[in-house]
Amino acid sequence: MLASRRLARSPIASLLRRNSTAVEPPPAGGHLPSVATSQYLRSTREKALRTPGLQWNDEDDPHAIIGVERETRKMNVYQAVRDALSIALTKDDNAVVFGEDIAFGGVFRCTMGLAEEFGRERVFNTPLTEQGIAGFAIGMASMGHTAIAEIQFADYIFPAFDQLVNEAAKIRYRSGGAFNVGGLTIRTPTMSVGHGGLYHSQSPEGFFMGASGLKIVIPRSPIQAKGLLLSSIRDPNPVIFMEPKILYRSAVEQVPMDDYTLPLGRAETLVPGADLTLLTWGTPIYHCETALDMLANPPAGIAQHVPESLRKAKIELIDLRSILPWDAETVAESVKRTGRLVVVHEAGMTAGVGAEIAAEIQKRCFLRLAAPVKRVTGWDTPVALQYEKFYIPDAVRIVDAMVETLSY
Amino acid sequence: MFRPVLARTIQPRRSLHTALGNLPHTTSPLVSNLTFFNSVTGSNESIPTFRVLDGVGKPVEGAQMPEIDQSLARRLYENMQLLPTLDTVLYNVQRQGKISFHMTSHGEEGTIIGAAAALDPEDEVLGQYREMGVLLWRGFGIDNVMAQCFGNQEDTSGKGRQMPVHFGSPKHHFHTISSPLATQIPQAAGVGYALKRSPERRGRNIAACFFGEGAASEGDFHAGMLLASTIPAPTLYIARNNGFAISTPSSEQYAGDGIASRGPGYGIDTVRVDGNDVLAVLAGIREARRRTLEQGRAVLVEAMSYRVGHHSTSDDSFAYRQRSEVEDRKRIDNPIVRFRLFMESQGWWNADEEEALKARLKADVMKAFKRADALPRCELGELFTDVYGGEEPWNIREQREELKSLLKKYGSTWEPWKTELGKFRSKGADLI
Repeated sequence: MLASRRLARSPIASLLRRNSTAVEPPPAGGHLPSVATSQYLRSTREKALRTPGLQWNDEDDPHAIIGVERETRKMNVYQAVRDALSIALTKDDNAVVFGEDIAFGGVFRCTMGLAEEFGRERVFNTPLTEQGIAGFAIGMASMGHTAIAEIQFADYIFPAFDQLVNEAAKIRYRSGGAFNVGGLTIRTPTMSVGHGGLYHSQSPEGFFMGASGLKIVIPRSPIQAKGLLLSSIRDPNPVIFMEPKILYRSAVEQVPMDDYTLPLGRAETLVPGADLTLLTWGTPIYHCETALDMLANPPAGIAQHVPESLRKAKIELIDLRSILPWDAETVAESVKRTGRLVVVHEAGMTAGVGAEIAAEIQKRCFLRLAAPVKRVTGWDTPVALQYEKFYIPDAVRIVDAMVETLSY
Repeated sequence: MFRPVLARTIQPRRSLHTALGNLPHTTSPLVSNLTFFNSVTGSNESIPTFRVLDGVGKPVEGAQMPEIDQSLARRLYENMQLLPTLDTVLYNVQRQGKISFHMTSHGEEGTIIGAAAALDPEDEVLGQYREMGVLLWRGFGIDNVMAQCFGNQEDTSGKGRQMPVHFGSPKHHFHTISSPLATQIPQAAGVGYALKRSPERRGRNIAACFFGEGAASEGDFHAGMLLASTIPAPTLYIARNNGFAISTPSSEQYAGDGIASRGPGYGIDTVRVDGNDVLAVLAGIREARRRTLEQGRAVLVEAMSYRVGHHSTSDDSFAYRQRSEVEDRKRIDNPIVRFRLFMESQGWWNADEEEALKARLKADVMKAFKRADALPRCELGELFTDVYGGEEPWNIREQREELKSLLKKYGSTWEPWKTELGKFRSKGADLI
């Protein structure tokens, strides 16, 4: 239904119908009805081309199609990741893609067809060793090559923690700039998926936030995934790129076909507002979208908990996108205007990314804060399989936090 | 050039009767007798150790000399002698508190210099920390060694950020040392793969990775061996088995036949050499390097030696081993003496030259030490640079500003800072 509505409005409907990939069935256990109808996903070519911060990266290419002629194509997140990898491999002979099970296309299909297209010397399987994958990637990058490695689930990045924190993050510094591993990008699927249990659900970005020298990036959509991944691959620093796995198939939008990047270290204001700043990244973006709808028009069941006076509140929604370094300026500017901040993330609360943000914002915005900074996060427990709906920071918890903060 | 002693370490597949056929997806023949095995040599014997010179520098009967002439021999010997000369001065300088730390190479001169000589000067080297000799062999220079250990403004290895003996130099194809053990082992597999993918270096250079037998217990050893064999890359692994990981004797490090026995498990050509015999190391690693290039995949060399010195200046090894044991090893199995006796037997060296060399090296080292000691550190602001490439993040910029304002307030009055500031190039003026 979604696809047909989009296509009907699109001037290049017939082209898209021919080129677009088959519609995927919804993921098992899908619990995010808002993703399918999200207003934040850019359903038309025009909207896609107007993505804020988008920088074309082919201005020097005489064959590139410039400006209004640019094409877009409907993609989900895994297709957008695959598209970015394909561009990186095409434009950079020194780029290689590797990890566990990536040669046949990857367990999430992010590397579909790349081995056939670019050869097994550039797209290859590794033995099942995360510390080895990270170490191998560091070695390649230290030789000036572009190493794009995959860790199959973010839950399994911890065996590589030493290589990433003690080695990748510190090589430029410890060598006085003589060596660096700027060509290193680690991609890894993250966040909950409905039924991932303890080890297919984690959001470990907070563990890496203290590893100065690394960058950590988390996209929310196909356009963001492609642009931020290409930026990560080309950034002169090692980057951990965490892909919210529940969005691989569920988030679909028009994505520019050409080579473009989106800036690292910059948050994006998705919805402007004046009364409260709602800050998040990755999957919870869509819980926040639902929560904003619910705050304005609460369903009968929860209406009694949402005072009439708050329903017209103007909420500013910000997608942080980069966890390290994070865009304190954009967030602080917003909170200075709104006086209230709610931070939403899936990882547990204690020493999570929200703690860092809350501390910095209370320092920068102390006199402007009208309420305590509120964190809506996973609990300080592992992600328990049958309890997931009560673990994740879903729309109702976000609504409740906004109500509490607005009425403080 | 070599007798079959090297080739013999690769076992021919034993012929077992295959009447029962094979399991699918393996070459393993099915058998009806329940046989457990352990030794990789197939005869419950240890893997042999390749030797060219005996303890008094005489060629072992039947051993074939590696190609070596007088000038190479003299260069080997001078570099072997330079190591203890430098180590002695740096060790004593640490004892006087002029540098914070040092680790000597005593007892491993043959392993390190022999390996350095067998490699191409442009082979990428990833070391552990006891491989300063490779850099010296490649012309890094005593001044650079001193600059790194003193962390002065001439420290090109890391601007005074890392502990002493953490050397590095892209010019000398020597990747900067880091303290976490074995992390360089899987990295070397990636370096080897990058060399293989670089048209100008493919077939010319290898990645050579050094580590101790203790580091080989880390998971990264397993990962590195596995990667450089399954994702073929010209990577030469050189295990320095010196009998100790700090206080832990190798008997508490592994129950198998050293590190060499693990190579065949990864499908890697492997050899064990006498690390106190510089010619055996030279021959073994030359051949290992040739195979690495030819096969484009990992090769493993285990060099057996003995750590004569303490683990580091923070260690007193007589707390866990007899002083007499160490003295015995120094006397009986000394790589420098062994090679000197060989050189003398060839008429390539004599007592006068010995005396002159020692005097010259000592003078060179003392001169470099005095120079390094007098130089200031880098600018204080270098504390904050090189964390990231490209645009500097706000947190680092703000923190530099914070230190600046603190220095303005307390830099001339708070004694611990005041004294320390004087040691930096412009005494912190770049921040204040």
